[in-house]
Amino acid sequence: MSAPVAIGTRTKRLDAPQKLNGQERFTADLKLPGLLHARVVGSAYAHAMVKGVIKDAALAIPGVVAVLTAADLPIAPKADGTPGENPLVEDEAVFSGQPIALVLATSDAAAEDGVGAVEVDYDPLPALMRMSEAMAEGAPMVRLKTSEVSDEEASMHNADAAQDSGEERETLPPNVSNSIHFSRGDVAAGFAASDAVVELSFTSQEVHQGYLETQVAMATVEPLGDLRVYTSTQAAFYCRTRVAETVGVPLHRVDVVPMPVGGGFGGKFVLIEPLVAAAAVAVGRPVLLQFNRMEDFLAANPAPGCEITLKVGATKDGTITALESRMTFESGALGGSPLQIAAILMGGYYRFPNLEIRGYEVLTNRSKMGAYRAPGAQQGTLAIESVIDELARELGMDPMAFRLQNCVVEGDARPNGNAWPRIGLRQTLEALEAHPAWQGREEARAKGRGVGIAVGGWPGGVEPATAVCRLDADGKMTVVLGSVDLNGTNTTFSQIAAETFGLGAEDITVKTASTDSAPYAGGTGGSKVTYTVGPAVQKAAEDARQQILSIAAEHLEAAAEDLEIIDGAIRVKGVPGVSVSLREIASMSMTVGSRFEPVYGKGSSAITESAPGFAVHLAEVEVDELTGETKVVRYVAAQDVGYAINPASVEGQIHGGVAQGIGWALYEGMHYDDSGQLLTATLMDYALPKAEYVPPIETILVHVPSEHGPYGAKGVGEPPSIPGAAAVANAIRDLTGLRMTDIPIRPERLAAALDAAETARTASAAD
Amino acid sequence: MNPSPFTYHRAGSVGEAIDLLREHEDAGVKLIAGGHSLLPVMKLRLAEPAHLIDIGGIAGLAGISAGTDGLTIGALTTHRALETDPAVARHAPLLAEMAAKVGDRQVRARGTIGGTVAHADPTADYPAGLLALGAEMVVQGPDGERTIPVAEFFVGFLTTALSPDEVVTAVRVPALPSLTGTSYQKLANQASGYAVVGVAAVVTLDAAGACADIRIGVTGAGDHATRAAAAEDALRGQSLTDEVIKAATDRADEGIDLLDDIHASADYRRRMVRGLARRAVLAAVERAGAK
Amino acid sequence: MTVDVPVNGTSRREEIEPRMLLVHFLREQIGLTGTHIGCQTGQCGACTVLIDGEAVKSCMVLAAQAEGHEVTTIEGLAPAGTLHPVQQAFWEEHGAQCGYCTPAMVLSTVALLADDPDPDEHAIRHALDGNICRCTGYHNIVLSVRAAAQKVAAGAVPEPFLQR
Repeated sequence: MSAPVAIGTRTKRLDAPQKLNGQERFTADLKLPGLLHARVVGSAYAHAMVKGVIKDAALAIPGVVAVLTAADLPIAPKADGTPGENPLVEDEAVFSGQPIALVLATSDAAAEDGVGAVEVDYDPLPALMRMSEAMAEGAPMVRLKTSEVSDEEASMHNADAAQDSGEERETLPPNVSNSIHFSRGDVAAGFAASDAVVELSFTSQEVHQGYLETQVAMATVEPLGDLRVYTSTQAAFYCRTRVAETVGVPLHRVDVVPMPVGGGFGGKFVLIEPLVAAAAVAVGRPVLLQFNRMEDFLAANPAPGCEITLKVGATKDGTITALESRMTFESGALGGSPLQIAAILMGGYYRFPNLEIRGYEVLTNRSKMGAYRAPGAQQGTLAIESVIDELARELGMDPMAFRLQNCVVEGDARPNGNAWPRIGLRQTLEALEAHPAWQGREEARAKGRGVGIAVGGWPGGVEPATAVCRLDADGKMTVVLGSVDLNGTNTTFSQIAAETFGLGAEDITVKTASTDSAPYAGGTGGSKVTYTVGPAVQKAAEDARQQILSIAAEHLEAAAEDLEIIDGAIRVKGVPGVSVSLREIASMSMTVGSRFEPVYGKGSSAITESAPGFAVHLAEVEVDELTGETKVVRYVAAQDVGYAINPASVEGQIHGGVAQGIGWALYEGMHYDDSGQLLTATLMDYALPKAEYVPPIETILVHVPSEHGPYGAKGVGEPPSIPGAAAVANAIRDLTGLRMTDIPIRPERLAAALDAAETARTASAAD
Repeated sequence: MNPSPFTYHRAGSVGEAIDLLREHEDAGVKLIAGGHSLLPVMKLRLAEPAHLIDIGGIAGLAGISAGTDGLTIGALTTHRALETDPAVARHAPLLAEMAAKVGDRQVRARGTIGGTVAHADPTADYPAGLLALGAEMVVQGPDGERTIPVAEFFVGFLTTALSPDEVVTAVRVPALPSLTGTSYQKLANQASGYAVVGVAAVVTLDAAGACADIRIGVTGAGDHATRAAAAEDALRGQSLTDEVIKAATDRADEGIDLLDDIHASADYRRRMVRGLARRAVLAAVERAGAK
Repeated sequence: MTVDVPVNGTSRREEIEPRMLLVHFLREQIGLTGTHIGCQTGQCGACTVLIDGEAVKSCMVLAAQAEGHEVTTIEGLAPAGTLHPVQQAFWEEHGAQCGYCTPAMVLSTVALLADDPDPDEHAIRHALDGNICRCTGYHNIVLSVRAAAQKVAAGAVPEPFLQR
């Protein structure tokens, strides 16, 4: 292969100018004649029977057009004839803020006035907010009516979730919606053979994706009867299926237009689209709903809180002998959680000859739980990476050396028995080990800083995809696909296609089409778009190239294999002056009576083996001994990316993931009171990392090529968000001697621990 | 999020604003200047005034003037102006130090000192420093102008000594004696940027380096900002060793009914009041000595 | 009520409800949707515009309060089809990802450079404390602001870009 011309270069985002000059159109920027603005009447209680909704006062408000309740929505029955899932509360509200009614008005302000005037008659029921309460013997039910819990969406993020955990059925405590059990070897014997054992219990609070653009969708019934949904979704085709099922419209009569996404991070597969579509059908007018920030905190799909107890043993020579764990994950009132992937990763970074993990998903009266960038990984990783760090200390070993000694390599088994394919964990550890920040850790300590490292891994996702590549009349290529560009993948695809044609990325246009015309692609999530859609683009471009060469061969009367494409023209190798331009090919193949077929390349991929990605992070922290404030002052992120098609884009993913990891570690957590009221429902109370909370981020790209990804690329989105919490906790441990096991590590928490340690020191000094 | 409907009035003068206040008092009326305290609560519909009087355009209410007896700061003076004004930096650096810690750059560009003090948010920054500086509020009402010493101004949660028909027109900050140092120490809420606890100290040394006078203002800890009188008394006239300062500032929370909420427990607030008071006094002493 | 707000150099006289926030005036009344709404309570800064050259949060200002004050939105920063040097810098340094916070970041940068033409890392992060970004971890934004400072200092002018 000749030297790459388009791939491997720091390519500026092709769609950046319109984002920079205000011309980008997000969903809420759209206008349609007759548009109605919707606002949600949310449940005032975390658990209650809704006895009635009184609309009169709201309907009297100027501008209010309709107040819709569950009964007003056209909800289709399921295939088996049972009632379909209504996006509004039918009779039992199971979390505070759950949508009970929708007020439609000619302005957002009028709709909000209407919400204030809707009266809801409740019969409150006990709310269960803590997993321990919900699981207790004799506990009341989180919801009186139960329905099937679906793992469909989880499987879109990672390949492992699609598999059954092979767990035997046990009698489950109340309100447990799912359980897992992974077992290998003899754990008791493993611990008996160990010289050191560390057992710690961890809690993670519920965390919100924090996308700046809140959930938003607009639906309209087109004049010819089709239902069109403009939405900020990561997964247009999945969204289309859900909308069609909900309102009972044939799939081909629903067109989902995936709009630019103002941050998704896993939280925007499908949420409000069925509701908005049903409302538009109900009133026969276009309806726009953009959650305000409070509605988004109350009624979207954040990452669950969890509790993990983890015990790991090792022998003096640093060989891990056993792992045992019990995990409970919040699954909200509607069920579903990333428990399984959390367990697989927690027990998957190192070789554990003996292993026993039991996990439970527990219903509580909280909102639906959803995916947030590497769902489950942060929580499981906090536990394992803290315990591994502590165990290294117990053994008197260097934490890097201990990790290198035990880390998994290709062929080692995950807790579910699946072997890791080709992975770069060891290489990534070695890359960080060589970095000056690790080599110079004693200097950092001398400056009053703590240094911590942690590993994070993600299995990667797979899903079939198709792309097409066509030659347009202007001699330029357009790639059309169905995957949503969250953060630069369409520029990456331009590079891939450009490479095939020997062009620059700017010569290729990549368009994400609506579901009416786009070739199929899965949701953008789980670090799989470049990995799975990339090969489809590559093949489509290659197909188009062959078609172009074939036309050119006939036209130039040369053999196709003697042709090359240089600077937008097809030339006969070694024969200067004999050439035909792409524009001429376009003209020849798209003319009345032409004998040449239009150039339309197609490429598909159905990769079944995922390409797991690993990151190893180093955090350097300072702690204010009085206030307990932790400041991350230096950060190094090493990651095996396989191959970086656009290094700038890959680094950008890492930077963003690191900031989110710091958010997990120190700042973010949703807090409910005992009655189920959310106390952190605005950004005045829920802290997202600000510029001053995040240090400069040094990145190290490690290249262990994947077998199936384009040019060896792997998905890079999830891994950088995973190790942060553990790396920061380990750095705090390094500095203060305190093992913080509950995230976020808020100042008060750390200050209390520092104070308690000081008191204990003083007391023991007095003895 | 949108405010509830209201009638908007633009006041051309303080007198006009007072007339409008009186006229609409029964229906519910609020003054708006920068709007950065009021609009958030109106958007959350925690406040739903039927009338809003915009005093933002009243001539002469913004600006800082320095005299021999101190600074007079117009009520419409923004945080940004206080942060960057050379006269403030020279005569009352504590004000600039506090202003720089209010919110963020956009908030500082718009929020005003008059609005902040009139709103009396228990977690606002200025009240601590104004208490420590011994400032006074210049207010105008139907019967003319009066001044309210800051110590009498903040009386409770979102409550001041202002009458419903009075308008804050200026804040006066007395000139500091020589050998005086000031400091504001703040633990900021990570989300909102408001003070979880903020402590301001103004320390004047005598020729021997002992504490001639001291005032400590505390915000964020209770339902309104207060002086830390017990700590002040324990320091006044004393030689300011680390031990003396530590013992005194450990009494900085005396008399404060500490808030206990999701942002901080009462116990944490207690320790922060004491610890930040210590830091503030130490820094103020150092600055006093450096002059 | 009727208000008259000069936006991007053009007087915009409109009949509005008194409670209309400036951000809604810009987005809904006159169709300038480059100003975004992220949090509604004054933290995220996605609604930042310039009023008389100062960066402010347009969701915390009534349209009526802006009467007679010069409002500059992202649409008015550079002539159509060109990018302001600050926008150029954000493009070159990969300072934009999803793009939702981006117009506000650009305007905050313009305001910062107006009174601190050569801000260091600390000054940049401090000045951008009122602009939350969830995608970039701020790293490339800081680099973008530095690059922008250099461009502005060198007298760069808006440059055309290829419309796609």
